[in-house]
Amino acid sequence: MSRIKDQMPVLIMGISLLIYGLIAKTGALMPMAKYLSTHKSLDLQITLTLIVGAIAIVGALINSSKEPGTSNFDTFFLQPLGGIVLILIMAMAIRWYAEPLMKIFSKNLQPILGFKIYKVLNLNYVVLGILAGVVLTNTWGIPKFAGPGVKCARFVLKMGVIMLGARYSFAELAKLGVYSVFLVGFFVLGTVFLVLWLGNIFKQPKSMTGVLAAGMGVCGVSATVAVAPVVKAKSAEMAYTIGTILSFGIVCMFVFPTIGKLAGMSPVQFGAWAGTGILNSAQVAAAALAFNAVDIETLKVAEIFNITRVLFLPIIVLVLATWFGKETGQKLSFKTVVIDKFPVFIIGFLILFAMSSMGLFSPPSHYKGKYIDVSYNDRTQVTPEEWETLNTAMTTDAFSGLTPKQLEAVTDLVEQRQIAGNYDDRNNTKEFDHVGRARMTQLEGVIAAAKAKQITLSPEVKSSIGHAVKQVHKKSKTVVTLTDFMIWFFAFGLIGLGMQITKKSITQAGGWPIVMGVVSGITKATLSFFVVLWLVKDVVLN
Amino acid sequence: MSDEEKKVIIETGDAGKGSTVMSESANTEELEERALSVFSSDRNEDITALIFCLITTFLVLLFTKWLV
Repeated sequence: MSRIKDQMPVLIMGISLLIYGLIAKTGALMPMAKYLSTHKSLDLQITLTLIVGAIAIVGALINSSKEPGTSNFDTFFLQPLGGIVLILIMAMAIRWYAEPLMKIFSKNLQPILGFKIYKVLNLNYVVLGILAGVVLTNTWGIPKFAGPGVKCARFVLKMGVIMLGARYSFAELAKLGVYSVFLVGFFVLGTVFLVLWLGNIFKQPKSMTGVLAAGMGVCGVSATVAVAPVVKAKSAEMAYTIGTILSFGIVCMFVFPTIGKLAGMSPVQFGAWAGTGILNSAQVAAAALAFNAVDIETLKVAEIFNITRVLFLPIIVLVLATWFGKETGQKLSFKTVVIDKFPVFIIGFLILFAMSSMGLFSPPSHYKGKYIDVSYNDRTQVTPEEWETLNTAMTTDAFSGLTPKQLEAVTDLVEQRQIAGNYDDRNNTKEFDHVGRARMTQLEGVIAAAKAKQITLSPEVKSSIGHAVKQVHKKSKTVVTLTDFMIWFFAFGLIGLGMQITKKSITQAGGWPIVMGVVSGITKATLSFFVVLWLVKDVVLN
Repeated sequence: MSDEEKKVIIETGDAGKGSTVMSESANTEELEERALSVFSSDRNEDITALIFCLITTFLVLLFTKWLV
C-alpha cells in the first residue's frame, strides 16, 4: 500500500500529461499557442505529452507492484522515472510557456526600458531552467520521488554537449577574413590562459577556473555549459560563471557604445570591438545596434567577429580537456592526458563536429544550417494581403525617406512579390544570387531605419517587408531537428543541475570567481579596443 | 570502525544528501560526483551518452535527409 502511495505523484503527473495531450489534440489550445507563438510546436506538444504521460503511468504501476530491484532496468529506468518526468514537465513548462511569456513581457516593456529585457538578461530556457531548479531546491526541496531522477541531469547535459558539435563547422572559418580569425583567436586563447593564470594566483579550484576560462574566453553561456562536464565543474560553479558573464556583459552593453562614440570609432571598428570584447551574442547585437541603429554594417561586422569567436569552442574544449587532465605537480605522458584522462563524451562532440564540417547535415558553408535562398519559389513569396499593403504604400508615396537603393529593392519586391535577382539574369546564377542578396540587405536596412525612427512606416508595411526577408532565410531540417534535441537535452540537464545548487554551495564558491571574471573581461575589452583601433581599418571580410 | 576510518559528510544538495562511513584516504570528490549520477563511473556515463547521441543523429539523418 505504501508503495502505491509513494508512486502517487508520478501517477498524477502521468495522468495530467495525458489530459494535457488530449486537450491539445482537440485544438482547444490553439488560440493560446498562437498568442505565445508556440503553435508550430503544438504537434510536438501532443506527441511528447501523450508518450511521456503513458510511460509515467506504466512505470508508476510497475513500481507500485514490486519491490525496488538492482537490475539495470530498475537503476536506469524505474527508479529515476519520477524525477525524469518531473524535470520533463518543468522543461515543457519553460519551453512552451515561461520562455514565450518572457518574450512577450519584455517586448511590452521595451518602450519603457528602451531594450528587450529578455535579450539583455539572456532569459532564455538555459537561464530559466537553472533558475527553476534553484528555486525548487531552495524552497520546497526536491520531492523524495524525484531524487534518483535528478541524478540523470549530468548525463543528459553531456548528450546536449555532444549534439552541440553539429552546430559548428570548420568550413565556416574559411568564409571569414584571415584578419578576424587571427584577431579573435588571439583574444580567445589569451583570455582563456589569463583566467587559468588568475585561477592559479587566487588558488581557485581547477573546475571553477576551467569553466570560467571557457565562459570568459569564448561565447558565454553555451561555452560554460559545454565545458562544465569537461572540467567536472560543480553546478554552483557553473551558475556562478554564467552569472558573472551576464552581469559583465550588461555593463559592457551600455559602456561600449559610449566609449566607441567618444573615441570616434568607425562602424567597422566598433563592430570588431564589440564582437571581440562582449561575450554574449545577444548583448553583442544590442551594443552594435546602440552604437549605430541604421547602418547594419556595424551589426554585421560584430556578428562576424562573434561567430568567429564561437567557432573557437571546439578548440577551447580540447585545450581545457588536456589542461584538466594534467594534474598539478605530476608529469604525465601524452597517452595519460589524451587517452586515459580525456572525457569520452567530448569524442562524441568532435565526431558531430567532423560530420558537420564534412557537410553531412547541411552544406558546410551554411552557418548553423542557416542559408539564404533568393531563387524563385512560390513559398518565398509574400502573402497577397502583404503585397496589397506594399503596393498601396508604393502608390501613396509612403517610402519617401528611403535611399535610392532601398527604394529600388522595395520596388522590385512589389514587382516580383519576393526577394530575388533580376528575372533576365535567372540563368546566370552568380549574378542573380548577388543581386537578390543585395536587395535583401537593403530591405533589412529599411527595417533598421524604421526601428531607429529615421523613417516612418506603418506597422503593416514593416511586417510585410520583415516577412519577405524572413522568407528567404532557410534552415536545414536536419540541423533544426538536431538543434531541437540539443535544446531539450540542455533544458533537462540544466534544470537538474539547478536542483543541485543550494545556498550553501553558492557561498562556498566565494567572491574570487567574480574578481577573476571582471579582471579578465576588462583586460580583454581594453586590449581589444587598442588593437582594433590600431589594426582594423575598414575591410575585415573576404 | 577501524582507526583509519572516519565519518565523512558529502554535501551534494538534496539530490544525494546523506552521510557515510569511509576510509580517510577515499577520493571524496570522485564519490561526490558518483553520488550525483546514476552511473557507476564517468566512463560508463560518457559512453552511454555517446551511443545515445550517435543513434539519435543516425535517426535524424534517416528521417530528415536520407528518406525524404
